[in-house]
Amino acid sequence: MMNAKQEYIRRTKKNKIITNPLTPAKLGIFSIFSFLILLTIIGFFTINSKGMVINKAIFEALEGFKNMFFRPKSTRFDLAEGMILVLQTLALAFITTLVGSGFALILGLLAAKNITNEKLSNAIKMIISFIRAIPTVLWVLIFAIGAGLGAVAAVVGMSFHTIGYLVKAYSESFEEIDGGVIEALRASGANWIQIIFQAILPSSATYLLSWTFFRFEINFAVAVAMGAAAGAGGIGFHLFNAAGFYHDIREIGVIVYLVLAVALIMELIAIRLKSIYHIHE
Amino acid sequence: MIQTLIKNEPVIAEKKASYPKKKNNKIILEIKNLKKNYKDVCAVKNISLTVTQGEFISIIGPSGSGKTTLIRCVNRLIDATEGEIIFDHKNLLHLNNKELRQARAKIGMIFQHYNLVYRLSVIENVLHGRLGYKSSLRGLFGVYSDAEKEKAVEIIDMLGLNEMIYKRCDQLSGGQKQRVGIARALIQDPKIILCDEPISSLDPSSAKIIMDYLVRVQHDLGITIIVNLHQVDVAMKYADRILGIREGEIVFDGSPSELSKEKINEIYGTETGELILD
Ligand SMILES: Nc1ncnc2c1ncn2[C@@H]1O[C@H](COP(=O)(O)OP(=O)(O)O)[C@@H](O)[C@H]1O
Ligand SMILES: [Mg+2]
Repeated sequence: MMNAKQEYIRRTKKNKIITNPLTPAKLGIFSIFSFLILLTIIGFFTINSKGMVINKAIFEALEGFKNMFFRPKSTRFDLAEGMILVLQTLALAFITTLVGSGFALILGLLAAKNITNEKLSNAIKMIISFIRAIPTVLWVLIFAIGAGLGAVAAVVGMSFHTIGYLVKAYSESFEEIDGGVIEALRASGANWIQIIFQAILPSSATYLLSWTFFRFEINFAVAVAMGAAAGAGGIGFHLFNAAGFYHDIREIGVIVYLVLAVALIMELIAIRLKSIYHIHE
Repeated sequence: MIQTLIKNEPVIAEKKASYPKKKNNKIILEIKNLKKNYKDVCAVKNISLTVTQGEFISIIGPSGSGKTTLIRCVNRLIDATEGEIIFDHKNLLHLNNKELRQARAKIGMIFQHYNLVYRLSVIENVLHGRLGYKSSLRGLFGVYSDAEKEKAVEIIDMLGLNEMIYKRCDQLSGGQKQRVGIARALIQDPKIILCDEPISSLDPSSAKIIMDYLVRVQHDLGITIIVNLHQVDVAMKYADRILGIREGEIVFDGSPSELSKEKINEIYGTETGELILD
């Protein structure tokens, strides 16, 4: 009785049953990871330390940290000015998130398989994943070719990547929705726009909100970097100067505390929002 | 009209006693030579059926026999491959978008998994039943008239969901969710309600409550009910007319009293006595 379907069953040389046979995909992933781990190990042993004395380096780094965190002091701006600078950076994050999420909402609806159709969905998702694959900084630099380095390039480039990111997040949230609800409303004579506003958006609102907020946090971090890299102004530009030109570690300390304070406030707001919208999941 | 529903307790006994009821013989739905193919599977083969106003029809048959497909073809959630569906004197297969919405507004539907928007309240879900009558803009923003809201409250009251009216639907029990489903269908002011296994996810006592409500809807509001059922005993207890479907064809069409053990076994393709009935 044991020999009926034996031809489908794979066994090891010791005649033990294999439960997860090795597929080409698994083999590929395994070899890529092995290769990367090997590179990391080799890289670690071949670092050119340029005659750096490790003990001294650690001591100096700690000294730097001490000055940064325990003796923060800014000479080029006072606290009020610092706060305005942080607000500028926040504004950059806010506007790019707002613009990005607006476009992403429409594109996300069009990219959800259960709302439109497979073809349109795949087409949008392909373009969007291309946009997402290129880092935000690069988009800003690409737009800087036309607009010149500055706030405009930063706003456009950051919004662009935000769209790419949020379309994926939004459309996946929409696709999570139970198709039965859509069907029920369709069966009672509701049309698409009504179904979107009465069933799809209410069902996914909390997900949309938390993805958007998450992206806002990312955009804040990017906005700091853009101040430095793309001359978009705000606190990032001063960070760049303090670090690159003045080597003023104590001013960097002030900036770090300001950024940290903003991050903390955003976290508190996020918690508050979640409790308002009862996210139990 | 709805007030009388609340007081009318012994509806089922009464109904059973008066059976066979005098029908007004007004034809509400006519299905002619309906056929539905999914790629290589033929789910419904040449089904013809005439339904008169106020009937309570149960469709029984093994899973995969085409019950869901048949019922969904009626309101065109599924587009039939061939045939005609005449509902309320209109051929549903020849309607444009707007006409189809209008026709669908007069057909209620109740689902096994309730299909409610769980993040919205009971009354919001009930009012969704009015979307088919609304302009895009009003429906989109959920603007309902006072009369519609009054009617919603009345129906919610009739289904015993008064205390739940502002509760989010994810906080309700299965039986309560299905009652919201019935309320959403009723506020459509439908001529017919289609139910696809409405009690398959419910415990026996909630299932009984739901079936009792469906009978009241038929009996007191005169709404035609077509319900797919898994449970032959439930079908026999509640329906005026039973349709037995096997492999996409009607193999039995008659009253519960005409449904013998042999007929049941023919529908389900089992030997006599193999099917467990209690
Ligand atoms: N969307 C679909 N695509 C392909 N085949 C389907 C689809 N829906 C149903 N079928 C097939 O059609 C037949 C009838 O299914 P269904 O109407 O769901 O039966 P029932 O509701 O009686 O269980 C089954 O053989 C099923 O596999
Ligand atoms: Mg079914």
